[in-house]
Amino acid sequence: MQPNLNRRDFLRWVGAGTAMISLPAVFGCRSGTALGVAGHGSGAHATYFDRFGVSEPVLGRVLAQALARGGDFADIYLQHTLSRTTGMQDGQVNRAFGSVDLGAGIRVLKGDATGFAYCEDLSEQALLAAAGTAAAVADGAPAAQPRSLAAVKIADFYRIEVPWSTIGIDRIVPIIERADREVRRQDARITKVGISVADEDTHILLANSEGRLVEDIRPMVLMVISCSARDGERIESSGDAISGRQGLELLSDANVDELVQEVVAQTVGGFEAVEAPSGDMPVVLAGGIAGVLLHEAIGHGMEADFNRKGTSIYADRIGQRIAGRDVTIIDDGTLPALRGSLNVDDEGAATQRTVLVENGILRSYMHDRISARHYQVAPTGSGRRQSFRFPPVPRMRTTYMISGPHDPQEIIASVKRGIYARVIGNGEVNIGAGDFSFYLIQGRLIENGKLTGLIKDVNLTGRGPQVLEAMDLIGNNMTLKTGGGSCGKDGQFVPVGFGMPTVRAGGISVGGRTA
Amino acid sequence: MSENLLAKARNVVAVTRAKGADGTRVSISRNRTSRVEWRDTDLDRIRESTTMSLSVNLYVGGRYSAHNTSDLRPEALESFIANAIAMTRLLAPDPHRNLPDPARYAGRFQGDLGIDDPTGAASLDGAQRRRRAQGLVEAARSAPGADRIVSASGSWGDVAYESAMVTSNGMEAAEGGTAFFCSSVVTVRDEDDRRPRDYGSTSALFLNQLESLEEVGRTATRRALARLGARPIKTGSYPCVIENRVAGQTIGNLISPLSGGRIQQQRSCMADKLGTQIGSPLLTITDDPHLKGGFSSGSFDGEGMATRRRPIFESGVLKNFYLDTYYASKLGQEPTTGSATNLVFPAAARDLTGLLKAMGTGILITDFRGGNSNDATGDFSTGVSGHWVENGELVRPIAEMNLAGNHVTLWKLLAELGNDPYPYSSTRVPSLRFTELQFSGV
Repeated sequence: MQPNLNRRDFLRWVGAGTAMISLPAVFGCRSGTALGVAGHGSGAHATYFDRFGVSEPVLGRVLAQALARGGDFADIYLQHTLSRTTGMQDGQVNRAFGSVDLGAGIRVLKGDATGFAYCEDLSEQALLAAAGTAAAVADGAPAAQPRSLAAVKIADFYRIEVPWSTIGIDRIVPIIERADREVRRQDARITKVGISVADEDTHILLANSEGRLVEDIRPMVLMVISCSARDGERIESSGDAISGRQGLELLSDANVDELVQEVVAQTVGGFEAVEAPSGDMPVVLAGGIAGVLLHEAIGHGMEADFNRKGTSIYADRIGQRIAGRDVTIIDDGTLPALRGSLNVDDEGAATQRTVLVENGILRSYMHDRISARHYQVAPTGSGRRQSFRFPPVPRMRTTYMISGPHDPQEIIASVKRGIYARVIGNGEVNIGAGDFSFYLIQGRLIENGKLTGLIKDVNLTGRGPQVLEAMDLIGNNMTLKTGGGSCGKDGQFVPVGFGMPTVRAGGISVGGRTA
Repeated sequence: MSENLLAKARNVVAVTRAKGADGTRVSISRNRTSRVEWRDTDLDRIRESTTMSLSVNLYVGGRYSAHNTSDLRPEALESFIANAIAMTRLLAPDPHRNLPDPARYAGRFQGDLGIDDPTGAASLDGAQRRRRAQGLVEAARSAPGADRIVSASGSWGDVAYESAMVTSNGMEAAEGGTAFFCSSVVTVRDEDDRRPRDYGSTSALFLNQLESLEEVGRTATRRALARLGARPIKTGSYPCVIENRVAGQTIGNLISPLSGGRIQQQRSCMADKLGTQIGSPLLTITDDPHLKGGFSSGSFDGEGMATRRRPIFESGVLKNFYLDTYYASKLGQEPTTGSATNLVFPAAARDLTGLLKAMGTGILITDFRGGNSNDATGDFSTGVSGHWVENGELVRPIAEMNLAGNHVTLWKLLAELGNDPYPYSSTRVPSLRFTELQFSGV
């Protein structure tokens, strides 16, 4: 949904530079509609000029205007997104939310400084005016001229056969109705079921003053199921999601059934919960979504903008040992069809698999164009933006730890008293001080090496570098989580993914409600 | 300008009616936003935009959908609406989806909301915004202890907006406003090479109501230095004060289960609590959409219903839910309004220092990190940082700890409100003192 800027949003933007991730609420604010869309080809020919009503000469004049006051570099990012959310409550698929987002962001760089303006009116006059606004980051005579544009062929990590914008809502309704029946079939205590399917087709066309012209089509689908259950006087409620850069195939019976099982288990599991403990104790992270810990404990600290500004706890530590030898952490935009994957980043650079930590040694930050130039290294394809309304900054894609040598059962058996963190909901980090949080929706106690009572709704906190150093047993079962994670930073949200093997960690305080 | 938006909105309503909608609500808004960020010695980013968007709620043959678009080209708009109506017809009917009763549009507040400062907005140009952003950094760097600063930044932002709403059953209204915001963020370095950060900020709807930028910059440095060497303390149950500028998060978690959607979908720990005692007699919260200069002030709500002042809690008793037309109908109740506006608290005697003195020994929470609250059960658990307090004095900074409890019982432990309602948010919450809460640390 477009950031319909009101006063409260404006104030919320500011939040003094913390970074957090969140999983989507049911009927969250992503939305969409199905408009008829002209067919499009693929390959190295620019095919979207008609979609945006612009031409190569117009883009050339806009880029020239952007550099007219002495900027070093300029780019223009045109975006057209058709999105739609189809929703069910109380057994009826009786609501839909559609959105059309069309516009262009124009950016000018002068040294490390950014000038940025955007507009939704794509007339040449409006684009030239926005370019003039962004150009004001510099204040001199033109130093560079834009080169003539040449289309670049890019990777293809998420080709889908049938675009969402050609799929009618009538194809989605039966999938939701079936999922509703499946949820209700699982347990008689379930009282309410909420289901939504959000789908999206985004087309982008990006041109820069170095002559690079890139197009990409980015599909996305997200299914969220939540339910409430009653047992006597007690009410429990939970929800979970599946997502990917995929078409209808993501919503296969098998995938939906797996989601249904998880949501029901989380919800009715709540009735057997015991009080979670409080205090510092060993934490075994289950495979999969527990990768949120990596995202918070180290990922944000490795985004190069924080390091360039000296505000990250990992500033100046490249080449140093920060974790045990079995710890290798990757941030990857190339995994097929994943929510965090990209053919190119939002600056038009090829995406890649970036090794952040290799056998415990810090290897590389995640760069955008500004930081890559600052550190004089190649970009890592990590420059991302929520939409044309935002300038790109270094961001994560899918962040995961690769498998280690240990049997997960052996890891659990090694803990005398601790907790097992299975389902994580959200997290946040203070990048400079290193303290981070991640919220445990559901897990288990570990007593004498065995999983025992179910625990829920406890926050876990620690200091990132200490927790990373304390990760001593790495499981052989790395699992990617395909849920609907989004990461917020700099006031903008982007889709991300997580992966984790079972890992034993320490230095974590567990926030239970009892002493 | 607003007349122009009203005319556009009327036109869109007419188009939807012509294409087969039985009922429509159209909102159009236009914003102009400028932001400047200065970092240390240099300009870091400038951002500007003027943007317009349209949102349409459609009621077609007993069915409902909602849409928005930034593509306002006339030919695109026609097909956008035609497609939206066609899509609506594929949905199941929903007898609870209706435009508000027109009687609820009437009686809009006529007084001055104090939300529009066109003179202030017109007085700013690019050079002035840069000077202000730079001035914030200079103020931060001139504060005592500034030699420990790793990075200081200053951010200026201002926005002017106007919006219009028209419904097919007789509601028409327009509203415009401005907001001005600035903040300074300072990062310092300690002996362990940790780099704690804190901020100062001010915001107002009138330019001349901002706090001095000098004070904002110095606050950022002072607060960041106060974070040096923060450590967790022992797990335990401690008396506690939550500082005003972060207490809004705790209030937000209390308010969230009061929404009609949560209640009707059985995801609310407050569903059966209307009229019952939730908090101590000190817990009084009023939703005041007419607060002069309030960040959420307005004369009509998101559905066009005239806004009204409402008690939410009175002397600890829950008095009202947030019910929009849809969920009120599903619950068989009268609608109130769909979401919170400005939340105001009663006057009190003592400032933060007085609250700390009254607490004696315990924890002052100055920041929350992550965490969450389960609306269905009221259970919450969140990361915190702040200070250990003895005899009412800050003794040492603490971090990497959690605070946990349950909103159904928490508010009975509310022992005192401060006299310092936070002015830079629509939740004008003062600092809050609690008798004893559960913390986890080492």
